[in-house]
Amino acid sequence: MKNFLVKDLMVPVSEYATVPKGATLFEAVTALEKAQEEFDVEHNLYHHRAILILDYNQQVIGKLSQLGVLRALLPRDESIRRIEDISRFGFSPKLVNNLQERYRLEAGIMEDVYKKAARMKVEDYMQTPSEGEYVEENAPLDTAVHQLVQGTHLSLLVTREGKIVGILRLSDVFAAIFHVMKDSELSS
Amino acid sequence: MKELEKLQERIIQRVNINLRELGYDVGPFVDGLIPFSQMVKFYAFYGITTHHPLNFQFRQSNLAGSYFLGKCRVTNSLLYKSDIRGDELKQEGDRFRYRNFEIPVNQDEVIDIEDSYLIKTLVHSYSHDPETLEKFFIKDTISGHYANIHGSPADGCFFGPFSTVDLTTIRDCVVGAYSYVQAGEISHLNIEPGTIWVRSPDSFNFLYRFPVRHLNNYIYFAPGAPPKGMFMDFVEDRKDAFQRVFDVVNIESALPVPSSASLDRYAVVKPHTHIGENVLVAQRAFLQNAWLGKGANAQENCYIINSKLEGNNVTAHGGKIIEADLGNNVFVGFNSFLRGRPDCRLTIGKESIVMPHTIIDIREPLAIPPGQIVWGLITTSKDLATNSMPVSDFYKINGRFFKGDMIFEGSGAAFVSAFMNRIHHILKANGAYFNGAENKGHAQRNQRISFNTIQPYPLGPLEGLYPTISIQP
Repeated sequence: MKNFLVKDLMVPVSEYATVPKGATLFEAVTALEKAQEEFDVEHNLYHHRAILILDYNQQVIGKLSQLGVLRALLPRDESIRRIEDISRFGFSPKLVNNLQERYRLEAGIMEDVYKKAARMKVEDYMQTPSEGEYVEENAPLDTAVHQLVQGTHLSLLVTREGKIVGILRLSDVFAAIFHVMKDSELSS
Repeated sequence: MKELEKLQERIIQRVNINLRELGYDVGPFVDGLIPFSQMVKFYAFYGITTHHPLNFQFRQSNLAGSYFLGKCRVTNSLLYKSDIRGDELKQEGDRFRYRNFEIPVNQDEVIDIEDSYLIKTLVHSYSHDPETLEKFFIKDTISGHYANIHGSPADGCFFGPFSTVDLTTIRDCVVGAYSYVQAGEISHLNIEPGTIWVRSPDSFNFLYRFPVRHLNNYIYFAPGAPPKGMFMDFVEDRKDAFQRVFDVVNIESALPVPSSASLDRYAVVKPHTHIGENVLVAQRAFLQNAWLGKGANAQENCYIINSKLEGNNVTAHGGKIIEADLGNNVFVGFNSFLRGRPDCRLTIGKESIVMPHTIIDIREPLAIPPGQIVWGLITTSKDLATNSMPVSDFYKINGRFFKGDMIFEGSGAAFVSAFMNRIHHILKANGAYFNGAENKGHAQRNQRISFNTIQPYPLGPLEGLYPTISIQP
């Protein structure tokens, strides 16, 4: 691991799916699809799974994950809030899921949910990176591993002189480590 | 009244520190709620009987209009027209059963109120917490009008008006107006107004939440103003009747009361009232054209008006029954509000359970069949169909169950049995089963109580504070 630096494994921002602040979820998902099509699958097994949100200065201000997009499909009204609130009272997750399912069926809210979600703004569902999600491009890989594990992150934002220049994905880190592990086992 | 102001400030600060995690500021709710001038007006009083240990200690507190029975200690607190009823406290030598443990009680239990502000609150029962058997503590806690703290040690809490915490050790929580909580042990929760929550971990869990827009008509409490709504109007309209019983030293009642029954001298009794054998009427109960059959009771802050209770009826603290006929063994839970009208009476069949904090407010005649369990808000027969079911059917629930806004999970049998046992315990404790020689309860034991009054400093730097007082045999 000591031989790897973060920059050896990162995906440059230019190769990543990005959308400007103010874009809709549909635009974000379209950008992700395009990035996946252009992605070099011969040399990398793992597709992109997130979209970066850029401000007017092309600086990364957030990350929209697949989970973030799915979150937009969930209704956010008072009834749902009250259902979610029930778990505070010691009811089982099964019961809470059951209630949510009943509510969705009764209210018929799945019908136009996709249309509505497509028009939502990315900034409402993006995740603003926390302090532990940034890593310097020249940092050794074990520093990045520590950050990924401690914060249970799926990726880290790689910086050069304070600017975000790439993404270090958990999948790429795992693949690199796996190869090192395999080589050392086979050679011993 | 500088000392009272300082005391209130100190209590608010202590409660806020406890509630900081919830980001809750009780100050705007409490400041000015009871003018300090009111706290100087009323005397406090305590009861002496041969059945309860005599041990009162009051220090650095105001106790305006409050009543004490049993072993109580009050320190750095404001108690306004509250009832601290220690007639069910554990006594030295008792054995407390908790799961597989049988724990000896080493000394008489005490209700210990410290750094707290209780407004028209009832404190009753005993600590059900095995970790604090000999001390029923209420600490850094504020409670609003007509709250019930029943067998529930509390630390760092704010209880809204007409709320009840029952058999629950509760820490750093907000309990909203008209919420009822019986949950064993809870902490760091903000429970919204009108939440009815009965939980026994690993056994059952019952939840009902009142529709807020309807509940607001009955009770509404916002910062900067006293509680409002029909509940407040109802009790305010009858306030004057209580004034007389508190003003007069010796009060004689012309009402015949059987020797096995108890009618507290601080209860209001209006004409055409009948008291049967083994009946218990507690202080601050209000009876008007009320017929109480053998073994029925009316606890503190109960109002029974133009109504008939056949017998062995439990009307828990704060229950209100108007223009209604209740069969034998009907249980009416805490703070329930059951209101028929002269031209459309409410009838409740025998052995029914009206859950705590139920509102039945009808403008059409309504008959609840025998053996029903009833909850929530009911104004029509359609509501009744949604918010009730036969007790026998509830007993069969095993798993998840939904009806209207009610959610249940667990064993219906355990839930019903817990209620039945509780009702039986209450009837027994109240003396409903007294046969002339055995099974004495409050109705028989509370008959001969001597009352003594105590008063605060009327003027000067300590105005409003009661002197440090220790009363022992």
